[in-house]
Amino acid sequence: MTPTAPARRRTAPVAALLAAAMALAACGGSDKSVLDKDTPSTTAAPSSAPSSSSPSASSTPTSGSTTESSAAPTSSQASSTSAPTALDSLPDCPIDALAAASSPVQITVWHSLNADLLSGTLAKLTDQYNASQSKVKVKYVNQGSYEDSIKKFFDTDPKQRPDVVQFPEYTVQNTVDNKAAVPVQKCMQAAKFDDSKFLATAKEAYTTGGVQWAMPFNVSTPVLFYNKKFFAQAGLDPEKPPSTLEELRDYSQKIVDAKVATYGIALESGFDSGGGWFLEQWFAKLGIPFVDNGNGRAGRATTASINNPEIAKALGALQSMINDKLASYVGDNSGTGFDNLLAMADAAQPAAMAIATSASIGSVLDIVKGGQFPSFQLDDVGVAAMPGPGKPGSIVGGAAMWMSNSGDPARVAASWDYINYLVQAQQQSEWGAVTGYVPVRTDANEIEPMKGKLADPRYSVAPKSLAELPAGPTSAGPIVGPLREIRLVVAEGMAKIMTGADVNATLADLESRANSLISDYNTRNPG
Amino acid sequence: MPARQEPTSETTTLERTSGWRKFGRYTLLVVIAFIVLAPVYAVVMQAFKPGYAALNHPRSLLPVDLTTETVRAAWTKGDMATLLKNSLVMSVLVTVGVLVTSLLSAYAFAFLQFPAKRATFALFLATMLVPAEVTILINKQTVDSWGWKNSMTGLTVPLMATALGTFLVRQVFLQVPTELREAAALDGLGHGRFLFEVAAPLSRPTLGALGLLTFLTTWNQYLWPQSIIDDTEHRTLQIGLARLSNADINRLNLVTAGTVIAAFPIVILLIVFQRQLVRGLTAGAVKG
Repeated sequence: MTPTAPARRRTAPVAALLAAAMALAACGGSDKSVLDKDTPSTTAAPSSAPSSSSPSASSTPTSGSTTESSAAPTSSQASSTSAPTALDSLPDCPIDALAAASSPVQITVWHSLNADLLSGTLAKLTDQYNASQSKVKVKYVNQGSYEDSIKKFFDTDPKQRPDVVQFPEYTVQNTVDNKAAVPVQKCMQAAKFDDSKFLATAKEAYTTGGVQWAMPFNVSTPVLFYNKKFFAQAGLDPEKPPSTLEELRDYSQKIVDAKVATYGIALESGFDSGGGWFLEQWFAKLGIPFVDNGNGRAGRATTASINNPEIAKALGALQSMINDKLASYVGDNSGTGFDNLLAMADAAQPAAMAIATSASIGSVLDIVKGGQFPSFQLDDVGVAAMPGPGKPGSIVGGAAMWMSNSGDPARVAASWDYINYLVQAQQQSEWGAVTGYVPVRTDANEIEPMKGKLADPRYSVAPKSLAELPAGPTSAGPIVGPLREIRLVVAEGMAKIMTGADVNATLADLESRANSLISDYNTRNPG
Repeated sequence: MPARQEPTSETTTLERTSGWRKFGRYTLLVVIAFIVLAPVYAVVMQAFKPGYAALNHPRSLLPVDLTTETVRAAWTKGDMATLLKNSLVMSVLVTVGVLVTSLLSAYAFAFLQFPAKRATFALFLATMLVPAEVTILINKQTVDSWGWKNSMTGLTVPLMATALGTFLVRQVFLQVPTELREAAALDGLGHGRFLFEVAAPLSRPTLGALGLLTFLTTWNQYLWPQSIIDDTEHRTLQIGLARLSNADINRLNLVTAGTVIAAFPIVILLIVFQRQLVRGLTAGAVKG
């Protein structure tokens, strides 16, 4: 469309228009650079983040009021080698403010539990909480995927953020550096919260600088789903699923040779599954730090060590399985999250195995029970520990409940009260039994309904796997500012490897890209 | 076999084309129509299948196993009634707002004399060069600070004035003969009555097209509602659809069913107002 003004009037406006356009384009340019940043743009980079530069050997985060910290349980922090942060300088947790509040305190919770079974169960627990007391009224809002929620949270003015938000372990350092949260450890101290029964690895995952920042709520770990019927038909023992990559190949070969399934295993490369999270599991199983400075736990990480010969060997094994048609590659899984599981139920070209989060156990069993997949019945579903290199065991995924640093004492106190409710043994038992998530505390496994569920070996795999790795920084997973961005980059590389790219060259490229992400992050957030 | 080229083939009209040529042309049209319609067909087929059948390719593309169960599930799970209502209210409010602001500003630019009028108009037009994505952050902060987050006000008001609307209507107003304006003035018509009783009725086709376009773009807005709404009560269709995507691993076609529901009102609207849309879009095309 062109301006249709008479010709005599045309030249002047056009000149003015051009001038104005250039001026605006200049402004627009700078606006855009703000938008382009992946990191939150509404909050300034923190100036006094965890910064005790001399890592002390002390394992208790004491530096101020010793009366409080001596009351706080510190038993599970034995493996923490981080420099303790001055807990006093962090936002307080005024748990008394709730009792002082005259009217019910309304708080908002953002969650990313999308599958019906998961969101329904959280809704049930939250409704129970709302009904159980009159001081706090919780409103829960589903914000889509963790990615959607993370972006939205940091794009929101700090004063308007939700009071509680459910973020995964890969957001820890970034959320802390943005001063977006009140550390739950403050509340745990103030409330003399007993966390002696908590999974050490789950607590560690949300701990940086010696401070536990968030309360793990939905703890998961990758597990192997397999079709027992196919195993039996191929002459394999359905009760002895593969645990190493060599066995995985061997089993797949037998399954393909026996023509009971088209593929041994369906692989994928979603950033929060096969493309990123599972790879970090391998680092933990092999005892190799993913980033330097004790996996980012002894001090701020400065480089990543992705290009590792043992990792390259393991990835080469997967690649050769795809090349030899023993494994299928279903692509980036992060859209639906379950393309590889669906490949197991594919009528035409089924796969006998797939690796997915334990959080999907409940949903998978629920669906298979419905009898929609003739090739896959309820008793055919086997669940085992994720096969891979290194020691048996795995590290956590899932997410934790974070308390927003709203500055409103009553709402912070109310948030803690709600979180405290969610991680009680009874609630965790219900949560784990329905969903397949691992209860964050072992005593939840000793009461119903989880106790009964654990009789089904499919539910006991994940809790067992999480307890197996020896304590130490590599078993807690990496802590590094741009872990989310690194995973996205790693997932691209994994997709390339799965489709035939050279493993060593790809890993070298990933390492250099991860390193520049880290140095860029550290420049913006000087620790 | 194609008919011999006549020397006047450049000016050939449809009536004079030979049978073969017509055949070729229609074959091409059918092929293009197929390319355009095949995805639409696939979406509709998927939407009306039970979850498990949607994965069973290529049978999933055949009109078998049809059921409305998935669409009904999408309706309840996605809370589509609320979404539809919000989208509808938002689109209607924005459309009315855009029409009113466009009429008023276009009137000023077309009929009134004021200092620096042309420069102001040029500046006005220049805003069309700034993509919405650039201004969204600032708009969001402004709306936040006014406490309009999670409200219909926040959803609609910032979208109610557009340079495009002003420009389109002004162009039509410029065609109104000065004599008409003078005659109206002699008859005692003030600015308001002249605008609404003479100028606006004359520009009805443009207003219709502008209204329809605004309605469609508002209906399809994603970025703005996504950044200003974070509760469930004020979500619009396009935001709600994204939520459906992983609600149920058992039914991957839930989103497809949601899409069909979301597209339905728009399709109806297009069928009813097709003439206005085409007329409006081509209105300025032939004149110099």
